Order: sequence, then structure tokens, then C-alpha cells
Amino acid sequence: MRLRHARSCPPAHRRRERTVALLTLSCVVSLALPVGTASAAQPQVGLGTADSFAVLAGSAATNTGPSTINGDLGVTPGTSVTGFGPPATVNGTIHAADAVAAGAQSDLTIAYDDAAGRIPALAVPTELGGLTLTAGVYKNASSLGLTGALTLDAQGDPDAVFIFQAGSTLTTASASRVNLINGAQPCNVFWQVGSSATLGTSSVFTGNILALTSISMNDGVRVHGRALARNGAVTLINDTITRARCAPGTTGGTPTSGGPTPGAPSSGAPSSGAPSSGTPGGAGGPGAGGSASGENGTALFTTSPRAIARTVARSGIRRCVDGRFRAVVTGLFIRRVVFSLGGRVIATRTRSPFTTLVRAGAGVHRVSARVTFRDGTPAATLRMRFRACAEAARSTQRERPRSPSRRPRGPFGLTG
Amino acid sequence: MTAAPAWALVLVACALFAPAAAAGSAIAPEQELVVLLGGHEVRSRPDVGGAATGSIGPRRPITHARTVLPVLDRRVDDDARGWLRVRLPGRTLGRRSPPRSGWIRSNETRRATTRWHIVVDVGARGIRVYRSGRLIRRFAAIVGKPSTPTPRGRYFVEENVRLDATHAGAPFALATSARSRVLQEFAGGPGQIALHGLQNIGGRPGTAISHGCVRLRTADVTWLAARIAPGIPVTIV
Repeated sequence: MRLRHARSCPPAHRRRERTVALLTLSCVVSLALPVGTASAAQPQVGLGTADSFAVLAGSAATNTGPSTINGDLGVTPGTSVTGFGPPATVNGTIHAADAVAAGAQSDLTIAYDDAAGRIPALAVPTELGGLTLTAGVYKNASSLGLTGALTLDAQGDPDAVFIFQAGSTLTTASASRVNLINGAQPCNVFWQVGSSATLGTSSVFTGNILALTSISMNDGVRVHGRALARNGAVTLINDTITRARCAPGTTGGTPTSGGPTPGAPSSGAPSSGAPSSGTPGGAGGPGAGGSASGENGTALFTTSPRAIARTVARSGIRRCVDGRFRAVVTGLFIRRVVFSLGGRVIATRTRSPFTTLVRAGAGVHRVSARVTFRDGTPAATLRMRFRACAEAARSTQRERPRSPSRRPRGPFGLTG
Repeated sequence: MTAAPAWALVLVACALFAPAAAAGSAIAPEQELVVLLGGHEVRSRPDVGGAATGSIGPRRPITHARTVLPVLDRRVDDDARGWLRVRLPGRTLGRRSPPRSGWIRSNETRRATTRWHIVVDVGARGIRVYRSGRLIRRFAAIVGKPSTPTPRGRYFVEENVRLDATHAGAPFALATSARSRVLQEFAGGPGQIALHGLQNIGGRPGTAISHGCVRLRTADVTWLAARIAPGIPVTIV
């Protein structure tokens, strides 16, 4: 009804309606749930002597089945190392309560505290599945979970660092995966977990897990990174853990020897329509910390309802979505956001909420948000390409049901 | 001496034009609504730590239609949870009056909008119907008598009820979130204020004789009932 009405109106009326809609939207704060993101650059988290370890546990390291550990394995102050003989393979040295393991645990504590203290941290929802994130610090005060795919986009910067801070647990579902694209390296991904991490069956996980308590992996997990537990146990079942090392010439890696060089688990291009983001933080690397360089701006591009961006992130333009939604940008130090649809500016926002209504007919469209920041963070353009459904467009035309009256279901009394 | 007449003119002008201007400027061209798809806790602030001030079900008690509420504000908390400040239904029988508005989580909801708005003018004993901020209809009405006045304030249509021909107020009633401030209970209900018809109840539009409800001619309430869905704002001035 709404669209049909708009078409029947004279152009001046349509313009007035559009203006009214924009003014109305400027008065409300949108549901901002992060999907496409960008964040300030961060230096790498130094692992010190823990760098040579693929698995490091506090109380015990336990394995079942033919797991493969590409890197050192250590336990301290506990001494229990169980199940790492054949058919399991350890392509490294086993350190059970020796000085090397003690030194690594000490360095792990420093690294854990470093990762936990990184700011500015952008709040993310518990569920990370379907998100595409650029370099930065991401935090959930309670827990983090992953169902489906999480994509980490380095945007061409091999030193881009991704730090995730989970207040308590990190839990991944079966067959979930962390994808790295555009030069992201597993050695530069850190998961600081406030209690314990559990990785689901047949999942592909990327990054260094720094857990305060324990790390448990179900059957058939592949990890490109490290499983480092400070106080508790590391438990494996037929898993493969490959110590992540940075490519030569990049600043992220720490210069240690041994262990094979892993590849990114999935470095394919992002889906054609995935919400993308700019790089406000610029290049990472030592000394490029946000507060030191004055580049603390972050911007996070998503939609309301969130399902739109999630579908686009997962399926690109293969699946159509409702052509009527809100484009939302949230973040830190944002000065202005200019929203465009198909190259035509549809809204400019200079204060929160940075949101606008997008109305697109059936077909493929691109919505973008040009974000400028109040500090020295370079401007970024965040984009999302999507395909609007014809059916969805028709469904939004119904503003009211044909007859809103209903018969009463029982006795009732009105004042009269 | 010369200033006094000027002040008087200003005051007279304000008295003449201010009510109309205020009423006109208060009508937004579009109101955001939210359809509840599940039950919701109502909190005093957009935070899970906010005090729980009540709960609201996904269906209305008379017709079991979906609960539709006007949205007054939106927020996102530190954990990226969406919150909506909504106008709340009025009291139910035997319960204390709930707050006029509160915060609910945005999950299990569906967004909607309306361009309709009804203004009940108690003083003028009539109603005005707006669409997209423009006045499109005026109807004479019966409003509450001085001992049981129609309560002023900002409300919304909770339910659009099709009444039996024998029911008082037939053929339709737009049951609002307003409740009588005098009658805590009436005819087995919580003193709910409605815009309804004249059948089986009588009265002459343009008078103030009701118990608080707004009575309209059959043709007028039929016109309204065909257009006004739950959630549409009702302002009583």
C-alpha cells in the first residue's frame, strides 16, 4: 500500500514523504548489531617463548586418537601428558613441567594480560557467525560463540591484528570456521578467553587461543594457531593443531624457529555481496596502537534487521533479501556518515544514530557509507551489495490489513 | 499606556491560535510501531539490569489479536542488544496501573509503521482523524461527563473489536490503552476507554454524557473501524 501510494502521488508529494521519513529516522536510534566492521590498528600480542608451542597447558594435556601437533607441547605446573604417543604425532618437543614450559607459561600470562587490556574494544554480539570483521579489538563481556563462518578481512595489510576478548567462554559449533581474507594471517589473530574454550566437531579454527582455564576440542578440529591454557587442561580428540607463524617480511611474526608454516584456512575472496568495511585504523604493526597514533576511530556497518546483513554476508547476491531495511553505522569517533544507494546520496548523518532507511526495488543494489572521523583516523567507505526480492518488496506494500476488526473471544467490558 | 493594548493583543492572539497550532504540530506524519511476536518483560531502562516494571503478552485480551505498540525510542546496550521504548497498554482488571511506557527487548518483534493518528478533542466534543500528518476527517462525538471524564493523554488503539448487533456500543469499538481515572471497574472490565458506536446505548453527538468512552455515529465508527488498526496513536486533548 505504501509504495503504491507513493507512485500515485505527484513528485513533490513523494519528495516530501521521503524528507519526512528521513527526519523521522533521525530521531530514533537504530538496532545496531555488528556485521561488517572496521577498527583501529593494533600491534601484535607478543607470545615470547610461548611462540614455539602449539599446545601449552597448565594442569594436563590429554589426547585421544591420531591427533597431530605441529609445534611444541608443554605442561606446567602440572605434569600429565597423556595420549600423545602413536597414533598421535607431535612434530616438536614435549616439555612436561620443565624450565622451558615454565618460561612459556610465564610469557603466556604476560600475553594474556596484554590481549585482555587492549583498547578500544568494540562490543560485538555473542554470536560471531556471518560477520566480516576488519583488524581491531572485539569484545563481548560474557562470551563469544561461532556458528557458521566468521571472516577476518586484513584489507591487504599482512600485519593486520585481530584480537577477540571473551569475558568467559569461547564456544564454536560443529563445522564452523574462521576464514581469513585479503592477507590476514593466523599468527595475528588472538582469542583471549576469560575461562574456557570449546571447539566443535570438524570445525576449522584460526588464531591463538589464550585461555585462562582450559581448552577442549571435539573430534576432527583443525586449528591454525595455538591452544594455550594458563591454569587448566588442553584436551584433544583426533585434532590437528598447527602452530601459526607469520610470513617472512611481515612485522607480526616473532622470530622463532621450527614447525611448519601454515596456510590460511580459507583465503578465498569474500562473497560478492558481503558487507565490507573501510580501514579507519590504517596499517598495524608495532607502534601503531590506536591511542598512540591518534587513530582510534572505528566504524561498524550493519543493517536492521540484522538478518539482512547476515544473509548478504553468507550468500552475497545469490539469495535475495527484503529491499526495505535500515543501514546502520556504529563505532567510535565518527564525525559524519554519508549513505549512498547505487551511487546516489540518500542521507547524511553528523550525529548518532548514524542510520537511514534503504528502500530498493527488486534487483541488485549497492549501499555504501562514507565514514569520516573526529580524530586522525582515515576516512573509510563501507559497502554492501545485495539483491532485493520482488516478493519482499510487494509484502511491504501492505500497510494495514483489509479489515482490522476482530470479533471478541470472550466477555469484556468497556466504560461506555 | 501604549504597551498594555499590545500585550493584550498578543495574549488574545495566543489564546486564539495556540491550541490549533499545538494540535497541528503534534501530529507526526508517521509513527513507528512494533508487533510483539512473543511475551516481553518491561524494564525501566534499556538494560537487563533495569527494574522489571511488568510484562506484556503477544496477544490482546478481547480479540486475541497481536499486540501492537507505538515505539517512542530505540537504544542499543553495551552488549549490542536492541531495546525499544514503547507505549504500554492500560491496566488490567484488579491490577495496579502500569507505567505509560517502558523498555522491551527488540527480539521477537516485527517492525511496522502507521500514518494514522486520532485526536479526541474533549472540549470540542469531537474527534479528528489524521493521515500522514494531514487532517482528513472530523466527527462529532459524545465524551465523558464531568463526573466520569474522558482522560486526557497520549494513548493508542489496543484492539479493533467487531461487536454483535445487540452489544452496547455496536457495531464497532476501538478499545484504547486509556483507562478511566474514576471507574476502576465497569461492566466487568478495567474501565477501558473506547471509541465505539451508539447502538443500544444512545446519546447525541456533541454532548458530554458518557462514562468516559467516546461514542460516535454508526457511519463514523464504521468508517474508522475499516481503517484503524491496533497500535495507531490516540491523543486525547
